[in-house]
Amino acid sequence: MKTLCQTKLATSLLALLLVAASAVVTRAQDSRLQLSSLDHLAAKASQSVDVNIDEKLIRIALKVFSDQDPEEREVKKVVAGIKGIYVKSFEFENEGQYTAADMETIRAQLRGPGWTRLVNVMSKKEGNLEVYLLMNGETVGGLAVVSSDIRELVVVNIVGPVDLDKLAKLEGQFGIPELDIEPAKPKTKNDEK
Amino acid sequence: MSYVNLKTCAALVLVLLMAANVVNAKGDDFNSVVKMIEQFYGVKHVGIPFLAKAGMGVARTAARIKGGEAKRLAETGSIKLAVFENQDFNGEFTKFRSTLNNALNQTWSPLVQTLSATDGEQVYIYLREAGDKFNVLVITIAQRDATVVQVNLSPKNLALLMKDPEGAGKAITEEATILDQE
Repeated sequence: MKTLCQTKLATSLLALLLVAASAVVTRAQDSRLQLSSLDHLAAKASQSVDVNIDEKLIRIALKVFSDQDPEEREVKKVVAGIKGIYVKSFEFENEGQYTAADMETIRAQLRGPGWTRLVNVMSKKEGNLEVYLLMNGETVGGLAVVSSDIRELVVVNIVGPVDLDKLAKLEGQFGIPELDIEPAKPKTKNDEK
Repeated sequence: MSYVNLKTCAALVLVLLMAANVVNAKGDDFNSVVKMIEQFYGVKHVGIPFLAKAGMGVARTAARIKGGEAKRLAETGSIKLAVFENQDFNGEFTKFRSTLNNALNQTWSPLVQTLSATDGEQVYIYLREAGDKFNVLVITIAQRDATVVQVNLSPKNLALLMKDPEGAGKAITEEATILDQE
């Protein structure tokens, strides 16, 4: 009987631990977008790039980037606190290779709680640019950029505290494409989605 | 008493199983990837993984990397290389990518993956920490050729890889194949 009780207690504790752990993971990945719905576009794209820099790789970057090198020191400052950088980009030879439904799989997530679209962001590149911030109260919890053109689709998702200035410094690093985003003061408009 | 013994036994079995799993996963991923390519595409590699000779300069590859100052990227003697020549690599590369990721995701982090439907080229770069070293696995598959390269990188060269993954991935592959020919 004692053994049975101990087993039940151990099982309950284990279950509680698992629930707590999953809650922590969910909370930490709030601003991580699910981009796998775009994977099928790789078969149609003339070029597709998939960048996955998770928290483990960010930690490695912080370890290996030198404080002596001014550029690496700057990048270290920018990525400190960031939990992940994820990029999917597709270039197409022909028009109409991705659909509104493909875009919707991303935009639907960006209509979720906390996400706000920045409306005064410009890019020197042609096409549409949408920039979203996930606000956790007063702090930024993540950023998403959707850049689309008739022959190109780029989605950048940065998890953790980041702003447009930081994003601009990360362009061209870690496989993040040059988006030519011009940082502006964040005037936000919740309805613009 | 019997409960304690049972618990100890279970814990020991669990630890042994986990250790065996880690050794299996970490020990021979390079060969597993080579075999996987062979099975998926029905091809055969022509090179045997080897330890590269020391002291051979390959500055011309490093020069192509953004911010590249290192004379060579791979640590001496750390290169494993398998080459596939003049064979067909036609097939569903999105399916191949998913098979590869499933096989490696326990121990490796996928840094960058590029696919080109136009010229049929696929490049996969994976990374993992191995004690105080960093292992990098670069898999490049074109329509008729492929290479699998695994190297150890110093922290300095790993920083170069992380700043410019595509450029450094190409340089690692070039370096390994040049060393193979010398």
